[in-house]
Parts: sequence; structure tokens; C-alpha cells
Amino acid sequence: MARIVHYINQFFAGVGGEDSAGAGPTLVMGPVGPGRRLAELVAPEHEIVATVWCGDDVAAGLVGEIIALASSVQPDLVAAGPAFTSGRYGLACARVVAAAQAAGLGALASMHEDNPGLDEAGAAPVVASGEVARRMAVSLDRLAAGIRRLLAGEALTAEDGRIGKLARLTVMADASAAQRAVDLALVRLGGDREATEIPLPRFDRVTPAPPVEDVSSALVALVTEGGLVPDDNPGALESARATKWLRYSVEGLDGLAAGEWRSVHGGFSTVWANEDPNRILPLDVARLLEAEGAFAGLFGEYFVTTGNGTSVANARRFGIEWAADLRHSGARAAILTST
Amino acid sequence: MTLTRLVHHVRQVALGEQTTFAQGVLTVSVDEARGILADPALAETRLAWVSPGESARIVKVLDAVEPRTKGPGGGGIFPGFVGPATPQGSGETHVLRGAAVVNAGYLPRAQEALVDLSGPAAALSPLGSSHNLVIEFTPAPDAGWDRVDAALRNGALRLAARLAEAALDAEPDEVEVLPSPSATRTDRPRIGAITNLQTQGSFKDVFLYGRSFGPCFPTLLDPGELDDGAVVSGQFGHPALKNPTYMHQNHPVVNELRRRHGLDLDFAGLVICPEPVDQAGKELISAFAAKLCAAAGFDAAVVTKEGGGNADADMALKMDALADLGIESVALYGEMAGIDGTGPSIVVAPERATAMVSTGNYDHRLQLPRVERVLGGAQLALLGVPAGDAYQIPTAVVYCALSPLGWGRVTARAS
Repeated sequence: MARIVHYINQFFAGVGGEDSAGAGPTLVMGPVGPGRRLAELVAPEHEIVATVWCGDDVAAGLVGEIIALASSVQPDLVAAGPAFTSGRYGLACARVVAAAQAAGLGALASMHEDNPGLDEAGAAPVVASGEVARRMAVSLDRLAAGIRRLLAGEALTAEDGRIGKLARLTVMADASAAQRAVDLALVRLGGDREATEIPLPRFDRVTPAPPVEDVSSALVALVTEGGLVPDDNPGALESARATKWLRYSVEGLDGLAAGEWRSVHGGFSTVWANEDPNRILPLDVARLLEAEGAFAGLFGEYFVTTGNGTSVANARRFGIEWAADLRHSGARAAILTST
Repeated sequence: MTLTRLVHHVRQVALGEQTTFAQGVLTVSVDEARGILADPALAETRLAWVSPGESARIVKVLDAVEPRTKGPGGGGIFPGFVGPATPQGSGETHVLRGAAVVNAGYLPRAQEALVDLSGPAAALSPLGSSHNLVIEFTPAPDAGWDRVDAALRNGALRLAARLAEAALDAEPDEVEVLPSPSATRTDRPRIGAITNLQTQGSFKDVFLYGRSFGPCFPTLLDPGELDDGAVVSGQFGHPALKNPTYMHQNHPVVNELRRRHGLDLDFAGLVICPEPVDQAGKELISAFAAKLCAAAGFDAAVVTKEGGGNADADMALKMDALADLGIESVALYGEMAGIDGTGPSIVVAPERATAMVSTGNYDHRLQLPRVERVLGGAQLALLGVPAGDAYQIPTAVVYCALSPLGWGRVTARAS
């Protein structure tokens, strides 16, 4: 009998909704919430020995603790979800299975193909769930079937509902790219409409959020991808291919003084940015608007990364983390300056 | 118009009293070379050869130039820099194949670029298998960086022409008669090339006949003009995705189209385009490039770029503009698929066209060994570590490793 730990969020654990979204990870013995049905589906061969749940706002940053709790009961496999299209929950599930796999455990997550957290699973397998929790029953059927297959030592394929990109690995081709390009042009002219080496990526279409109804009562945050950091770049933000974002306090500042801040962005000439850092992060005018009462207050920190050759997966993760962090901190609007 | 390349293979290199080329041995007079490089913007230049197989690394690599000349004093080579800005691309051009003149050192906006002469990264760069005459430099105390940049560019081009001049009287190892694109339609498909060049101002610029290409419209170029150095790079961003002068001189897509001209295709022509920094400019340039291709009778175009995500937009717009005129296109993309290869490969995708060739994943990590000898600088700027140490870097840092012009064999495939 294989031992399974099931990861879910605070909502499906029955703890609460947004009011409990900041709760840290907790280990509970046996199945909880949707885990009860999942346990029936994988029995009698396998057993859900424990459940780890965590609040949506903090889970993605506490994956190490989640895996440590799961590992304390010696599981063979960590299952996560179904997360449907919930972004924070999906991100957490994806990271949990990625970390579980990296720790040498079996791992399988369940979420909808459109879940923005999907790419974070990396090479760990994910199977498709329905779009919303009403599809719980069929989603659990597929998750259970996937668990059985993995524990039988088999790999999951699209037929099992596996989703997410397969890793594109670097290899040496037989011919130069120039020769292959000319070959491909001839193949296309010969009538093959499909031939390509790179399948077109599926891009998100972002629907703008509705306007904030009453800005004058909102806490507003400034965020930027312009690489603006304190002059000595204490967090070592990258000039390109950013793998992280940073936060710096603007408490007590009426603007950003030249010489004390600089942009490390490698994708444009930073001369004018450094001459007046407010051009990247408009703290000076934000303070004026704050004094005029245009909004209730300015959030005490700004968030920053570098948008230059940054992978879409990382950029998506930064966005989810920023939104969760700001939401948790009470900010209701953010001004994102881009370069 | 026909160009003939008289190719001399450089098999061995040395520094010596006089600049000579004989029996495959290229000897360079340091005194003469430093005289050629002398400029008020440079306090000092230092020269050293580094050769394939050595435990050696060049960091902060700027431009690379293949030594070429068309006669004494250059005979018109590198028009607009060494020779006058008059059209070139015909007659005879002497080529010192297997050697390169390479500038290396700090310039603003230049991204850290690395060449290894042995180990796993050597095969990924065209400079990994060539004898490289590396020019290191100290700027004059009061010189502006733009002056330093110009001095390095002019110096490397003059020196490259001078080195090739040493072979003017030598018997070439190979004679390559290069066809020009044909205007006559046959029953073979007509395929041409569109080459986008990154033009984003100082230190990220490309020159055509000595002039900044940024404000220009797309133009048809005779491929022989590339051979004679009409296109010179001053673009120091995106090391793996850059097109140094050396690669323009040896444009892989153009060479492939020439090789197959009259066999399974007819070479329809070469269109070069700037990569504007604004969307409206990108759309306008893409529409004009497509118009030129239609006028030149392209059935298909191989589209290439220079740079990262910004340049993906130029590619996508061009592919769609070509599709709108009924011209097939294939684009060469360096993928940006994340360290584990699971991220989306390209930043901006075309809406109608779909044929792409992969030149590898920019984010793929390489483990480099410690090396005995380092040129170009003491530190690797990217990591802030001694440049000769063992470390892991993204493929993006290796010079021309994902060559948008299609030089390499690196690719990425779904596992």
C-alpha cells in the first residue's frame, strides 16, 4: 500500500474563505474535504495518510514548509488539488508538486489548463481538472486514475488528461539552423501547412479588471518592471532574465532622489531614468496626489523586477505573487509602470 | 554582379616583427597593429592571439571581424569605414578564413558576452574554433564612451583589412565564385532572406555603409555587399542573439541560399531591415519589407532577427505582413523557454504565419570549466566572479550561441 499526502487550500479544508487566506500550513492526519472522496477512489491499494492545507495568500511562498510537513509522515506520493482555475491555489499546487518531485517523491497536481499557476509545476505531472468546483467529481476521478498509474510505475500522457508543456530540451541538430530554415521553406512551399520546429505558444488574453469604484478610499501601490532599486542594488536584482522581484520602502519619502536610486534594467539606456528616478517609479506625483486626497493613501513599499528577457513563467508568477501580497496588505489598486 | 572569394586558410598564428602571411601562418606585428589602432579616445591597446583548443576564455566580447581585403589599402573593403562609402560586392575579395579580430572590454550597455576556446561552450560559438586576435583597451581619461566605441570599431576594421592585405600575393586555398540573386523566374521556387538588425541607438546600433541603420527603411542588398563589409555591427546587447560583423560577412542563410541557387531553389534576394523601438515603426518597416519581397518576386523568405523579446515582435509582424501578400515565411527563433524548458518559447507570436526553426533555448544552463587564461576582463560581470573560474551560465551569455542568422546546430525539442 502506497502512502499519499494530499495538499489542499484553506477553503477546501473547511477552515474559511478569504478571511483565512493568510493562514500558514497545517498537517492533519487522514483525508480532509475532497480528500475523503479521493481516498475512496484510490483505496484499497493506496491510502491518504495525511492532508496538508495552507492559506492561498501565503502558500506559494511556504512550499518548503509544506513539503517538510508532508515528508514528516513518509509519503510515497504528494497529490495536490484540484485547483480548477483558482490562480493562487493553482500556483501553490504546482509548486508543491514541483518541490515534491525534486525531493524524490511521486507527485501529481490537478488543475484546469487555463490555471495561471500551471507552468510552475515544471517537469512534475499535472492532470486537467474541470473549470470550477462544480466539476469536483469528474476531476477527482481523473486525479485518482493518474495517482494509480503513477504508483504503478507508469508515465502519464495526454490520454490520461496530462496538461502543461513538455520540457523543451537543448540538443544538437544534424544540420545548421540556416539549412533547416531553407529546408522548411521548401517543405512549406511544397504544400505542408503544419511543419514547424516550434509549436505556437498559447498566450493568455488578460481581461482588464473593472475600475476601482471609489479611488479616494483606496490604498494605492506603485509597482514596476523598470529595474529601479537603491543605488547599491542590495537585493542583486538582475539586469535581464529576472528570477525574482524585490520590495523597498518608500515610507517618509516625497520622491526618489538622483544618486540614491538607479535602474539596473539592461534593455534600455538608463541615463534618463537615473537622472530622475521618479520617471520609472512616479513617487513624486503620487505623493502630491495623496496630499490632495485623490486616494486614501500610498502603500508603504513598492515592488520591482526587471522586465527584460524575463521568462513568461516567471513574469506570470511575479504577477500572482504581487496581486496576492497587495491584496493581503489591503491595497486595492496598483499602478504598474513599464519600460 | 558576381563576387569571387579568394580564401586563405589560417592554420597557425604568431606575433612578430612584421605582418606576414605564408603557408597558412599569419604573423602580426604588434607595433604596426597598435599604430593602426591608435586613436585619441584610447590610452592604450593590448593585443594577444588566442587559439582553438587552448584552456582560454574571452569575456566582454564586443565585435568580431573576419580579415578581408579587396586590394592594397583595403581596395574598398568595409565601405564607409575603411574605404569610401561607395557600393561594393563585386570583383575579388581576399578572406583569411579561420581568423578573427575581436574587441573585448567594458562599454556601456554591452551585455556580458563570453567565448571559450575549449570545453562545452567552444562548439557553441563561431569564435570557439577560430584564431582570435583579441584587442583589449584602456580608454583615454577624458574620452566619451561613444568616441571609445567608434575608435574600437574603426581600429578593428582597419586592422582586419591590413591583416588580409598580407595575403594579397598568396595563392588562395579555395576560390569561391558566388552567384547573385537572379531576377529571372524559372520553375524552381524563389526563396530570399530578410535580415532584421537591432538598431536601438548608441552601443546597440548597426551601420550600413558607415551610417547608422536605425532611421532607414528596409533595402535590398546584394549579398556580395555583406561579404565586403557594408554591414558593420555596433550592437553589444544579447550576446547569444547578436549578429557581429563576422557573421554578416559569413551570413549563414545567404550562404545556404547561394549554395542551393539553381539546384532546388533560386536565390531571390536579400532585404535588410532595422528593428524600430516603437510599435508603429515596427509595423511600417514590416509592411515595407514585405512590399520589397513582393517586388523582388519572393515565393518564400527566411526571416532572421537580432536581440531578444523586442525583436520577436519584428519577426511576428514581418511574417504576418508576408502572409498578407501571399509570401511564405520561415523565421529563426532563439527560444526563451526558462531553465527547465517548460516556459513559452517566444515572446510575440505571429497571428497568421506558423513556420519556425529553433536555434536553441536561451535559458538553458551550461557548466563551464575553470580556464588557465582569460582575456577581455578580470571579472565575469554577470556573476561578479573571477572570469576564469568554473561556473554555470545561461546559454544566452555565449557569443552567437543561438545565432539568429542560423550559424549553429543547437536547437530545442519537446522531450
